[in-house]
Amino acid sequence: MNRDTNTIMLRSIALIVLLSAVWQARAQDAKELYPGMAPLDQYLMADRNAEIAMARSAAPQAISQDADVVVLGRHGYETAAKGKNGFVCLVERGWMGPFDGDNAANFWNPKIRGPVCYNPPAARSILPLTYKRTEMILAGQSKVQIIDGIKTFMKLELPRLEPGCMSYMMSKDQYLNDGNHHNWIAHLMFYTPLMDGSLWGADLSNSPVMLNPQFSGAPEPIDVFMVPAGKWSDGTADPVR
Amino acid sequence: MGRGSLKTAGLASFALVITLGVALGTSRPVQAQSETQYSSMAPIEEYLMPDRNAEIALARSAAPESISRDAEVWVLGKHGYETAVKGKNGFACIVERSWMAPFDDPEFLNPDQRLPLCLNPPAARSHLPLTFKTTELAFAGLSKTQMFDSIKSAFDKKELPLPEPGSMCYMMSRQQYFGRKYGNADPHLMFWFPQKDRMDWGADFPGSPVDVHQYSPQPITEFDISVSKWSDGTAAPTN
Repeated sequence: MNRDTNTIMLRSIALIVLLSAVWQARAQDAKELYPGMAPLDQYLMADRNAEIAMARSAAPQAISQDADVVVLGRHGYETAAKGKNGFVCLVERGWMGPFDGDNAANFWNPKIRGPVCYNPPAARSILPLTYKRTEMILAGQSKVQIIDGIKTFMKLELPRLEPGCMSYMMSKDQYLNDGNHHNWIAHLMFYTPLMDGSLWGADLSNSPVMLNPQFSGAPEPIDVFMVPAGKWSDGTADPVR
Repeated sequence: MGRGSLKTAGLASFALVITLGVALGTSRPVQAQSETQYSSMAPIEEYLMPDRNAEIALARSAAPESISRDAEVWVLGKHGYETAVKGKNGFACIVERSWMAPFDDPEFLNPDQRLPLCLNPPAARSHLPLTFKTTELAFAGLSKTQMFDSIKSAFDKKELPLPEPGSMCYMMSRQQYFGRKYGNADPHLMFWFPQKDRMDWGADFPGSPVDVHQYSPQPITEFDISVSKWSDGTAAPTN
């Protein structure tokens, strides 16, 4: 029995080491693949209607059909459809990820497509950050300049973080990484002031709550928690892997 | 209490009730019986769990062990809730009883109902006072109307707190029991906000994983999100 236990333990450790090495290698590959901004055209979607449809696919149709939709143009996001429920749907690009660390590997990945529908408080409190980052990216600024610009923006212009900010990311067509599961999982996101993730029980064993490294004070003073939705916006099941 | 996340379970149970009713040849729907069953408080002993350790375990089962093992645990005694275990992570786990159900819920005062919750630190500070107050009123033998008025008055006078920012809780116990209609329903998370914030989460729209509840007289908005696993990591059935 003890020998069996030891064998299982050793195999588990070996598997963890192997997976960790593979993951680190992939992150390194991605960093090398996307060291800087690609030509702008690669980030744009040629078909405006396809971008509108992808943006709306972030949330169930009952929500997104009445949402504002903005699409990425050469000079930033532009309103493509006016809504009436206060939600705003758009397709975010890789530069909305962390600036640094392993999770920054896809920052310049031109394939990233992150359809998201913000609820009304988040449209007022979080979406301005998307616009600001995008504006500076399209102006050709470096990461250092962008971080400085965001810090200034937060001091002077960014609206206060309202309570109840959340968003939907339930598009089956989302492309969030180059791995085997491009669309990762359908999920909801919740935005709070910076706090200890353990206050929500995030990332603990068997907890459905995850802390997204998206902002986390670097530099935006916002935490983003994620909860799997269990289904895509079209109603089909997305079993948690 | 998280009821809206139970929509699908409710439909399934309703279908089962109809099926059973037909199979048994009854002309009166079983559901109608349950709606009139709990008009007053049963003897207090029926709401208590004789095995204190079983109640502690049930309370902890509301959240994954990684959270609940370090949580404070409350158990229901003859005079109200008592601290059974001191915690160290700020979470509080408790088994609520049916007087925490909405006043118009058919299971209100059902002595069999067991609702384990693990509240995060902001929710422990702002939700537990409501649980303790309601329990005190139930134990005092007040009528539903008197309880309703007393809770309303306590909120009006600010004797009961509104939810703190970031208040949420886990209800992921496989052993939770909402009553005959819903059984153990589904594992879910709950989030609380002051009603005055007029929060819009796109809840209750077709296809939305979010449900919303406004339980009168509490000036509180509750959002429920179903999750796919029980606290022990096993998969919950999907409907």
